[in-house]
Amino acid sequence: MPTNALGREIPDAVAGRPLRPYPGAFATVPTGRRAGGPLKTIRPGANKVAPSLDEAIRRSGLRDGMTISFHHCFRDGDRLVLQVVEACARLGIGDLRLFPTALFPCHEPLVRHIGDGVVTRIEGSLNGPIGAFISRGGKLREPPILRSHGGRWRAVACGEVEIDVAFIAASEADPYGNANGIHGPHACGPISFSVVDSWCADHVVVVTDNLAPYPAVPPTIEQGYVDQVAVVDQVGDPAGIVTGTLRVTRSPTALRIAKLAVDAVAAAGLIREGMSFQAGAGGTSLAAQEILARKMARAGVHAAFAIGGTTKYLVAMLKEGLVRTILDGQAFDGEAVQSLRTNPRHQRITPGFYADYNSLGCATYMLDFAFLGGTEVDLDFNVNVNTHSDGQLLHGIGGHQDVAAGARVTVITMPTLRGRVPVIRDQVTTVTTPGEVIDLVVTERGIAVNPRRPDLAEDLRRAGLPVRTLEEMKAAAERLVGKGKSPIWGDEIVGVIQWRDGTVIDVVRKVEGWA
Amino acid sequence: MRPSREALAGTEERSDALVRVRPGEGRTVSVHSKTGPMYEDHIAALVRTLLDGYGVVGAHVEVREAGAYDHVISARLEAALSRSVGSEEPFRSPLPPPSREPTSRDRPRRSRLYVPGGNARMLAFADSFGPDCLLLDLEDAIALPEKDSARFFVRRALAAMDFGATELWVRINPLDAGGADDLALVVAGHPHGICLPKVEDPSQVLALADLLSSFEEAYSVAWPLWIMPIIESPQGVLAAAAIARASERVACLAFGAEDYTREVGAERSREALLWARSQLVASAKASGVQASDTVFPNVEDEEGLREEARQARDLGFDGKGAIHPLQIAVIHDTFAPRADEVAWARGVLEAAAAAAKEGRGAVAHEGRMVDRPVLERAKRILAQAGEGSDAD
Repeated sequence: MPTNALGREIPDAVAGRPLRPYPGAFATVPTGRRAGGPLKTIRPGANKVAPSLDEAIRRSGLRDGMTISFHHCFRDGDRLVLQVVEACARLGIGDLRLFPTALFPCHEPLVRHIGDGVVTRIEGSLNGPIGAFISRGGKLREPPILRSHGGRWRAVACGEVEIDVAFIAASEADPYGNANGIHGPHACGPISFSVVDSWCADHVVVVTDNLAPYPAVPPTIEQGYVDQVAVVDQVGDPAGIVTGTLRVTRSPTALRIAKLAVDAVAAAGLIREGMSFQAGAGGTSLAAQEILARKMARAGVHAAFAIGGTTKYLVAMLKEGLVRTILDGQAFDGEAVQSLRTNPRHQRITPGFYADYNSLGCATYMLDFAFLGGTEVDLDFNVNVNTHSDGQLLHGIGGHQDVAAGARVTVITMPTLRGRVPVIRDQVTTVTTPGEVIDLVVTERGIAVNPRRPDLAEDLRRAGLPVRTLEEMKAAAERLVGKGKSPIWGDEIVGVIQWRDGTVIDVVRKVEGWA
Repeated sequence: MRPSREALAGTEERSDALVRVRPGEGRTVSVHSKTGPMYEDHIAALVRTLLDGYGVVGAHVEVREAGAYDHVISARLEAALSRSVGSEEPFRSPLPPPSREPTSRDRPRRSRLYVPGGNARMLAFADSFGPDCLLLDLEDAIALPEKDSARFFVRRALAAMDFGATELWVRINPLDAGGADDLALVVAGHPHGICLPKVEDPSQVLALADLLSSFEEAYSVAWPLWIMPIIESPQGVLAAAAIARASERVACLAFGAEDYTREVGAERSREALLWARSQLVASAKASGVQASDTVFPNVEDEEGLREEARQARDLGFDGKGAIHPLQIAVIHDTFAPRADEVAWARGVLEAAAAAAKEGRGAVAHEGRMVDRPVLERAKRILAQAGEGSDAD
């Protein structure tokens, strides 16, 4: 079987679709032209408002076998995906390919529609139950392809994925199709994931529970790309935006890791006037952000910009002037939505602006440093965020690849042990992000520096920080728990992990046993 | 060894394991691991090796673990077996010695962090907290029915984990209230010292020193264990100097304010504790040992901790107790030498070096004679400053 640049075995094709092996983080040279939707026109006086969601689906021309797309700005509070799939079931439309940006635990009822053949394929980030269902061998006709935020935008923009009907949940929309996610009783955030869908889909339906008079501004989704507007009782529950642990951790271990991570970027000279950073929304990242904020305040320096996912903690830094601009693709709490609505320095961006590989500029390429997590890391600094060590496919990629590829210093924070499972492996179960773009791995036992960055190793040593090798930290963890068994992989492929350029960095296979 | 009754040890909480031993014919081992097949064989082999080592026959062992490390499973198994045979005696055997360096009597002891000795979750990452002194607590923190299990746990954790530069202590019960049994197991883990609570009389220290000598030999511990008496009563405060001088093993006197205020009928306040704390510091310093202040009980109140630590430092204490890892950085920060002290110490050493070069005997710095205690204080300040500040 052919292998990619990381030595991972990648089949020539999966379910008839050819796979291109990953050649290196920046080796792919794109060819061709951008994709776009069909040309259409409209006359003055036309009415785009459909009498119901069912009628909008009927008018869209959606048929068996087609592809429908969604954004995930409501995260675990999304109500649209299931409403559309249930309507399709009612209308007798099946064999659909679901192309959401991400699915969450609230989408577990999809399992039933997969069983009934309404949905037969899914491409998107799979968080939780749907991923677990697929890892157990749940019957999708094709294994899901997982993409980063930038990767998904690229796939649509270059025509790799053709969307038949895009359903775009909007907390506010006007009858002409202008739509946003920052106004209305159920405001959820930027909704800019769907901009490329609106450009490229054959048919675009904006779905809202808050029809406003023309013009609804800002027009994140523009009228010129929207075929229909459908009104439903509720598109989503903003309470579900806050998922997981969106608060600063009190765990001494996580705090130690967070502090070491900040000390490391400080030692590298990156806490300075005009700096830039991205910090995620996990407990450790938030703690790191809080420590960073204090350090910046003490040093009297300001960040030119920070990239969201945005939480109230980042919003506080914007308000205090520690951060001059937030570039935001995703809101993680109500304070972030409120800030998007009211603060002009809190700027909505699309995943294309953020990280499209096939473009002449990515915000992530302008980052000084970023704190990211992961489920595993290996001795080559490859990071896994998709699967657990038991082979279960449980998480999406998010912006992990995009940020790691762009930031000058990418810091992975993780404890050396989760329960009794060592996080540092000889080889990661699944490669999500290649070691080529990872600089530091920070655990409670110390900081490992990628040998590609001897400059950083020297900075850290000079600052008296505990520099350890991954091998040392791995051995320390294994002294407490032994090595354990690893999965034996079957031939069946349950997931394809794309690198952000569209090549395949790894595939997830079904677990057949243990050795 | 043959179990005579069914026994359980441990919990099903995160990082812990529940071990059940049932008497019966033959020997079976069943493992239920939260990691599924990843570690079940490994754990079963671990259990069988331990059963072989103790010569256990006629036992059915069941392990349910939720992220427990190997030494946690071993400790829970030993506790269940000892409950099942009704004695700890067969388990008082040496463990493979950890690679660990002895510590000096006057090393920095800015922080002493208490961690409950039986709590698997809190001990799981205790090797990375980085206090100057880690005290695995078998006294206050342990409910009586779990005391035996905690002893096994502390012994195994000490032997298995690499705590780096941290000095390792075990707080045992008073010797006449189970402390001797504590020692009989935990010294096998090669700690650096034993923390003895409720000391009111030098004889208590002497009795502990005697026991330590015999256990050190039995377990081939390569260093004499230090003793940290905790003074937490008015009688103890009055006898502090004699307690500090009772044995060469005494490295540090620790103050316990909770019991002290209760016994004298005072409310905890700076004034109520001032005499006792000063008396303790003077007794310690007059006896050539260190003094460590009481714990600050409110984990959320960082400013309160900083204030109390500053007071303790100004009274002459060398360190302070902590009940949460988050308190360590504040304590280290407070006890770190101030910039003017570091500058002074540097000046002293420079003056001494210059005098030595010129062959002068008498050294002065800033108009004050530099004698040996002054020189040593300067060296100590620079050593502490060299460890850096952990505050953030």
